[in-house]
Amino acid sequence: MPTSASATTTAERLVALPPLRPDLHERAWFSAPHPTLPLLATVHAKSVTVFSLTTLSSHSNLTGGHTRSVRSAAWKPNLPPHKLCLVTGSFDSTAGLWRWEDEAAASSSAGLEVEVTGRDGDSEKGDQDWEFTLVLEGHDSEIKTCAFSPSGAQLATCSRDKSVWIWEDIGASEADDEWETIAVLNEHEGDVKSLAWCPDVPGRSRPNTYGHDVLASASYDNTLRVWREDGDAEWVCVAVLEGHEGTVWGVEWEGKPRKGSMFPRLLSYSADGTLRVWTLTQQGEGDNDDDDAEQSGTAQARARNPLGGIPNTMRQSLREEWVCTATLPKVHSSDVYSAAWSPVTGLIASTGSDGVLALYKEKDDCSWTLLDSHENAHGPYEVNHVAWCRRWDSGIDSDKRGVEEMLITTGDDGVVRPWQVAVD
Amino acid sequence: MAAAALDNANPTILSASQLPTRQKKTAPRLGPDSRFGDLIFSKPSYFSQPLSVDDLKAVSWPKLNSYEDDFASDPIDEQEIYDLISTISDPEHPVSLGQLSVINLPDIHITPSPSLGAPSPNTIVQVAVEITPTITHCSLATVIGLGVRVRLEQALPPNYRVVVRCKENSHSQDDQVNKQLSDKERVAAALENDTLKGVLDKMLETCA
Repeated sequence: MPTSASATTTAERLVALPPLRPDLHERAWFSAPHPTLPLLATVHAKSVTVFSLTTLSSHSNLTGGHTRSVRSAAWKPNLPPHKLCLVTGSFDSTAGLWRWEDEAAASSSAGLEVEVTGRDGDSEKGDQDWEFTLVLEGHDSEIKTCAFSPSGAQLATCSRDKSVWIWEDIGASEADDEWETIAVLNEHEGDVKSLAWCPDVPGRSRPNTYGHDVLASASYDNTLRVWREDGDAEWVCVAVLEGHEGTVWGVEWEGKPRKGSMFPRLLSYSADGTLRVWTLTQQGEGDNDDDDAEQSGTAQARARNPLGGIPNTMRQSLREEWVCTATLPKVHSSDVYSAAWSPVTGLIASTGSDGVLALYKEKDDCSWTLLDSHENAHGPYEVNHVAWCRRWDSGIDSDKRGVEEMLITTGDDGVVRPWQVAVD
Repeated sequence: MAAAALDNANPTILSASQLPTRQKKTAPRLGPDSRFGDLIFSKPSYFSQPLSVDDLKAVSWPKLNSYEDDFASDPIDEQEIYDLISTISDPEHPVSLGQLSVINLPDIHITPSPSLGAPSPNTIVQVAVEITPTITHCSLATVIGLGVRVRLEQALPPNYRVVVRCKENSHSQDDQVNKQLSDKERVAAALENDTLKGVLDKMLETCA
């Protein structure tokens, strides 16, 4: 299609929906939507409130695991629907592992989802269902973010101690928690603020020297780093992304598969008020398939040669080249604390200290346009987090439940607010 | 190295009566100037629960609404900010930041300017405070800046964003200090550090 007709004929708008119940009445840092179930984990003070996105109210609480504030949480993916596993990262320098199992649902396979997610505000009962099973210790100071790899096999945590740790569950079974550290990555020169694993999209699996999993980190040192596992099962930094003029608060991968199975891009957002899109320079950029070029051993293919036998000091030549290919329209007047890239529509939402929620769309020429912005998304308060998730409540037609997306913002006012992206 | 050695053993100290203030004369009357009186003059209970939204909701909001008319004619100005922070004690000396000229009225800036009238409760207002550490290598610059930021965040309505910086060339590592002071996450974590919180508690004890 030569013209960008879609950009001119439709208009996406942000519509505030009623906040989840109850208000938390204290700063909430982060909300993690469950990858498949209608659940949302919001961290505030030393605890976590899990909301049901079906009833839009509290489902259960996780308390008593941390001595300081919980900063982030991550759901372990690929578990059966009657089992939940949440990891919390805290200012107390530890990560906590929590499990919830519905015995009744496990024995009767019918209505599992209803049983797990259909509770309405029965928090007293919910408290008893969560078990704090393990503390992951090792970081020297506050853990800022924790994130599971797409398979759920590995967990990454990052901290003010400038390091990223990668953990693996080596227990004999899912319930047998025995986690060990498989890597400690120390190259950042400041707090590591955030982490993101590349999602398992078609473009991720490319024949090259590294394993499939790719981790990106964002730091107080104003840079992003990309990490991969080499042929010797050793995690190495393959790229340093420089350009931001302030702390990089976070990083997100493109979850929507790209044309021609190109490698997913990265989105970064910063205290400098900007959002940037970064693209991996691939051989035969623009071609759908560059495997031939790689195998022919051309000069450009050197970066993808096997690592075997090459000493550490030579790894420089195996670096990936990431280039900032777009800067999103300037909306925010101060720190951008959070941004989310929809794996369904490819739209980006951002929010931050100025309390503005903004929505952007990519045009055919790979530049970005502002679709809508909403001031005072949480009244006068700062907004700490935004995430895309599925909509499950009765406010939409039943055939759209679990399909249509919405945004969730989390603020200093302790309000967790869903937003509909309305298309006129 | 003696642990008790002061970074600056002989600072210049101004008499409290030399400092600009509006506090004394407004204290007796119950006007708009004292609308945060219960926050300012009360025991700093907020330390048990840093940045509690409850406090802000319970205290600031109803006040803002009930004094809306007054608020419209008399927005928070630089002098009011000065009165909130100049009484903070220096972590090393038993005198206030105002007396040490760490806090100076001309180094407080409010945007949009209060002279334009009172902002609506949802208008984001920036309060920029430049601190002047007593000597250029003062290791306590970060702690002083943190005290100022915490004091203002507790006392001001939630639409106020506080930016604390070292005055240019006043501190040998001011970029580093400024970056730390502007990092919300670091500030929040620092307030959960018992040792640091103890120091801050002591500094803020003397606030009105």
